[in-house]
Amino acid sequence: MRRKLVHHLFRGITALCALLACGILGWLVWAIARRGLPAISWNFFTEQIKLVGASGGIFFNIIGTGILLLTALVATLPVAVSLALLHGVYLRDGKRKRALETMLYVLNGMPSIVCGIFGFIVFVNYFGWGKSWLSGGLLLAIIMLPTVTVALMERMATLPSKYVEAASGLGMRQSQIIWSVILPQTLSGIITGSLLGLARIAGEIAPIMFTATIFAGASFPKGIKESPVLSLPYHIFILVQDSFDPGVAEKIWGTALVMLGLVFTLSLIALPARLKIHEEAHHG
Amino acid sequence: MKVHLFALLALIGTPLLSVQADTLKINGSTTVNLPAAEASEILRSEKKMDIQIDTQGGSAGGISMLGEGLVQIGMISKHVSDEERAKFPKVTFKEIQVGEDAVALIVSADVWEGGVKSITKQQAADIYEGKIKNWKQIGGPDKRIAFFNKEPGRGTWEVFVHWVYGSPKKAPQVSFPEVGGNEETRNKVASTKGALSQLSSSWADGKTVFALSIKTEDGKEISPANENIANRSYPLSRPLFLLTNGEPTGDTKTFVDFMLSDRGQDLVKKHGYLKLSELK
Amino acid sequence: MVSRWSFTKISTFFFSLVAAGIMVAMLVLLIVQSIPVWKHEGWSFLTGTKWFMRTHEFGAAPMILGTVLVSFTALLLAGPVGIGAAVFASEFLPARLRLAVKIIIELLAGVPAVVYGLLGVLFLRNWIYDLLTPFDPLSGDTLLTGAVLLAVMILPTVMTLADDALRSVPAAQRTAARGLGLNSTEVVLHVSLPQSARGLLAALLLGLGRALGEAIAVFLVVGRQDNQWPEKLLSINPLIESGQTITTKLASSETNIAYGDPIHWGAICGLALILMLMVAGITLASASLQFFSRSRHAS
Repeated sequence: MRRKLVHHLFRGITALCALLACGILGWLVWAIARRGLPAISWNFFTEQIKLVGASGGIFFNIIGTGILLLTALVATLPVAVSLALLHGVYLRDGKRKRALETMLYVLNGMPSIVCGIFGFIVFVNYFGWGKSWLSGGLLLAIIMLPTVTVALMERMATLPSKYVEAASGLGMRQSQIIWSVILPQTLSGIITGSLLGLARIAGEIAPIMFTATIFAGASFPKGIKESPVLSLPYHIFILVQDSFDPGVAEKIWGTALVMLGLVFTLSLIALPARLKIHEEAHHG
Repeated sequence: MKVHLFALLALIGTPLLSVQADTLKINGSTTVNLPAAEASEILRSEKKMDIQIDTQGGSAGGISMLGEGLVQIGMISKHVSDEERAKFPKVTFKEIQVGEDAVALIVSADVWEGGVKSITKQQAADIYEGKIKNWKQIGGPDKRIAFFNKEPGRGTWEVFVHWVYGSPKKAPQVSFPEVGGNEETRNKVASTKGALSQLSSSWADGKTVFALSIKTEDGKEISPANENIANRSYPLSRPLFLLTNGEPTGDTKTFVDFMLSDRGQDLVKKHGYLKLSELK
Repeated sequence: MVSRWSFTKISTFFFSLVAAGIMVAMLVLLIVQSIPVWKHEGWSFLTGTKWFMRTHEFGAAPMILGTVLVSFTALLLAGPVGIGAAVFASEFLPARLRLAVKIIIELLAGVPAVVYGLLGVLFLRNWIYDLLTPFDPLSGDTLLTGAVLLAVMILPTVMTLADDALRSVPAAQRTAARGLGLNSTEVVLHVSLPQSARGLLAALLLGLGRALGEAIAVFLVVGRQDNQWPEKLLSINPLIESGQTITTKLASSETNIAYGDPIHWGAICGLALILMLMVAGITLASASLQFFSRSRHAS
């Protein structure tokens, strides 16, 4: 009897924990959608900020976030692919592999505000770029790098070794094998990792607040130096501290809803592949 | 082939690396930001001007970024101090007044309804130095004072300590929870019992937060109402400035002129500040 | 395969070096830029309890304490819930439902920090303020508010990694235990949890690492009050008062003001350095635990 009681109690408590975790997401989406939906219209996406955030839309904020994300992706991909190849192909020694993994772990844990300070010193001041979309993109690239690399590494680990052996048997050189077998076969890992990485950085403010983004007036960048962009998260961050007009509240929630939509879309597209690869890597 | 590649790179690279000279950059006080940001929206659409505006670091941020040549116009809600002038000897700071505002000491509803409607300079100093910790010490409800201090660098904070201590340098070193933006201040005071903070008087709406009157030594109570700001009887009134390096020219001049025009002045009024013509 | 220095190999090593170089550069730069404050303050930069920028007094202890208090409280809240939820999902739920839970957690992990900040400012502050009424808090901006917000933010991290750890326990061991007549709860308590203990600990440590480094959400609700060094360390009081963490200081307007003043800027970089080392330490500890558990199960 007592065993049964403990069993039910234990299962009940853990169920509550799971319910709580899922409930938080439900509440969060509901709370934001309820307040943000009235702000959403076609014009919200196509118009600029008007009346200091109380009217108009977030067109250039979306553009700015898009520019930052794209720059980060372009900058991070060659490095991520290289690190994954180093791990999966070139490093044979387990110790070295582990050192590389450890480095990625540490980079993954790096507080984003520390990256922001680093960027402020290097890009804004040493390079004299001032606030620039490129600084922001490069800093975000550093933050998304471990996510993309690990996803790709996990995908490479699941690549059947007979592919490589067959290619090797055909007399292909190692670099040929990489370009014609390994990379095409792990393309899904590259895509999944990129989407996850983008979802992770889309909402970051700490790395870009001192280096890349301003409140209003920036449109398409025309150069590198002194070329800031607007962005979605900074828009919320500023307005939540400094909105005068009560009409701004609706716009803040609307912007939050758009951001939530963006990161959820990125995560959801990546999800099926990610769960599959992840399970295989851990239990395959 | 290689030569072509380099030529191509150079072609792409040249415009990328050139500094943008035709963009008007503005940074500074969140208080001045409201009319200035709206003015930029108008100039952007009517005159096709390229104007970027930000509020990093408040008034101090506006002054230092103008000093370093990162912006052409600073927005400030206080005077430029001698120290700040000394920090940038090569820059000729020119203050151009576009309006007038006041710093109000605002309290939450429970304090207001508990009978605290005014405050003396001495009481403000005692609260700031932690000698007065409860509202009942100045005739209010029995509630600890939750004082939110404006963060350093904000014009609002400087105007406050200027009034109490004569200069920011003479202000004692204190630690309170800090607030930055105006809405953050209003929101936190409104939602906290026994709260007090410094805020631009135009944000003190009289519904969620309430502006205290200042009780002078001869017992007069002066509220931060527009007429008292206009005739300078309210002691914490402050000019709102656009700050330029020397006499404004080009786009900078266009912007300054617009802010001084009737339409620009109407924007100042719209956001709750006093127009220049209302000042005596 | 014959390994030659092909173009591919050279570029691979080059880009890998870039990645390693950035990390080294970060560390070196923060050390170099923080030298003025170490010269100015010595060890009292770490132990000093007073931070007054206008008189050049820089003691980071209250911020280090604030960081530790906020992060550990967050872990205390998120740890049990995260592990509990992971146990339920991986041990009691059928595969399809488990997948649904994983999707939800995956989405929760993607919610941007500023959205949590928004919800924190407009809801959580007031809830905590009401909840704490018996303790007469000065305001809703407290270390506890920051901690609760962080707890929600690190919950997906803890849960996902705990789930991984539990799943890596070989199914054969569970089957064997069931064969001995244990029910599923007993299997969890006597087999799954002990077997995955290291992995679970690693999950908690990574959650802690994330909590230590989060800036924006905490910034909006923690009060940003300097010099909060409690008279009694071991009491609940510091938690229900406002405070400052390293990250909230770094994200504040002081970072803008400090640049150009070597000692003040050194203090800002010194804080960043301390934070970086704290997080790196936690991450390394977590990584070594994970490697250990993986190699043990693999063998």
